[in-house]
Amino acid sequence: MGSFFRKWWRLLAAVALLSVAIQFFVRPPAALSGRDALHAAGSLLFRPVYRGVDFVRQGGAEIWSHYIALVGVSRENERLRGEVAALRGKLQESRDSLLENHRLKDLLRFSGTIDKKTIGARVVGHDISPWFQSIFIDAGVEAGVERGMAVVSPAGGIGRVHKTYDGLSEVLLVTDGRSASDVIVERSRVRAIAEGIGGNLCRLKYVSPTQDVAVGDRILFSGFDGSMPKGVLLGTVVSVDRPREGLFQKVQVQCAVNVQAVEEVLVVLSRPSIPFRAGKW
Amino acid sequence: MVRHFLVLLAASYAGTAAGVWWLSGFVPWFLLPDLPFLSIVFAGLFLPGPIGFLAAIPPAVFREVTVSAPPWTFFLASMALYFFSREIGMRLFLRAEYFILSVVAGLLLAESFSVAVLMMLSGSRPFSFLWGMQEAVRIAWTGLIAVPLYMELSGRWRRVRE
Repeated sequence: MGSFFRKWWRLLAAVALLSVAIQFFVRPPAALSGRDALHAAGSLLFRPVYRGVDFVRQGGAEIWSHYIALVGVSRENERLRGEVAALRGKLQESRDSLLENHRLKDLLRFSGTIDKKTIGARVVGHDISPWFQSIFIDAGVEAGVERGMAVVSPAGGIGRVHKTYDGLSEVLLVTDGRSASDVIVERSRVRAIAEGIGGNLCRLKYVSPTQDVAVGDRILFSGFDGSMPKGVLLGTVVSVDRPREGLFQKVQVQCAVNVQAVEEVLVVLSRPSIPFRAGKW
Repeated sequence: MVRHFLVLLAASYAGTAAGVWWLSGFVPWFLLPDLPFLSIVFAGLFLPGPIGFLAAIPPAVFREVTVSAPPWTFFLASMALYFFSREIGMRLFLRAEYFILSVVAGLLLAESFSVAVLMMLSGSRPFSFLWGMQEAVRIAWTGLIAVPLYMELSGRWRRVRE
């Protein structure tokens, strides 16, 4: 027996480690879900790299746009872009609020009066593993970012904060397979669960064949599950398949934001009403 | 041996940093070789004793930090990968190109398949035919990079020892 263990201890160690890893993967212990020493130390190791990359990118872009090419025009362009982005965000909120006005005249309280604080952050890296979809942003616990907070852009929702460190946070994208959010079809007010399926797509779950969903419909976050502010755009329906047999329609949604190419984001600094767990884990 | 450790540490750090922070969003994920993975497998196949084990720890930490999996899973899986590689290195390994390619590609395939199955069992369906093709490119590409890298490093260090 002793010689067996002496001979095969590496293989047994590998199997044991793998078993624990699978257990943590399927059911991560609550004690390990928050910040831990390994992740904090690891994020410190890469901080010089992402700061350097950010400095080079921003420095290069600023030198070019502010000093080499059209000094005044580039600044005005930058200001106008900011204004356009803000107006697009307001327009989006207004559209949903307008529909709400028509449906619920007596009960209307303009949702725009709820002032949620946000901070801007730059995307400094991406998860390059083939299985998961997330981005790294340059705002962390020092800026008040916490797990579960929503991350949006003027064009639509991007994801939720998954892990936070000093000066760095990891955002689980809405297109990740673990992301699930309560959403609503803007036109017909049908509710569903949007789940990421990779690429820049999500699918709507639990839409019965009798419910009215069509290609081109805009999908908004309902806000009921606390994952995103109400009315933020998720995307547009690109395909609807009504199987002859089966309980639900197969609906695919193209995200409004190209989550892999986004460069600047807003983190909504309000604690999620429901404790955050990354999808099914 | 310390030199081996430092070279592997530098390669895995530079590979992770380049992949996640520098090239991400610019080069598609399936064209970025998994250098921390290659460092762990190299430590298992070529570095005997405690130095190999120690050399496998930093790239395992880099993977844990940069992959958005549940906490500790990629560190533990990476250390399991080291022990599997060590077992292959001690019992089966032939120092030949085709063997390196098949070992690296086989281990990458096993890892990818395991994660995909686990995700599907937990209810996620983020995988498509296109994703499968891209993943095949990543595995082939990483395996092809491993062959000259391993041959060069192991040959050079063997000459130094002699």
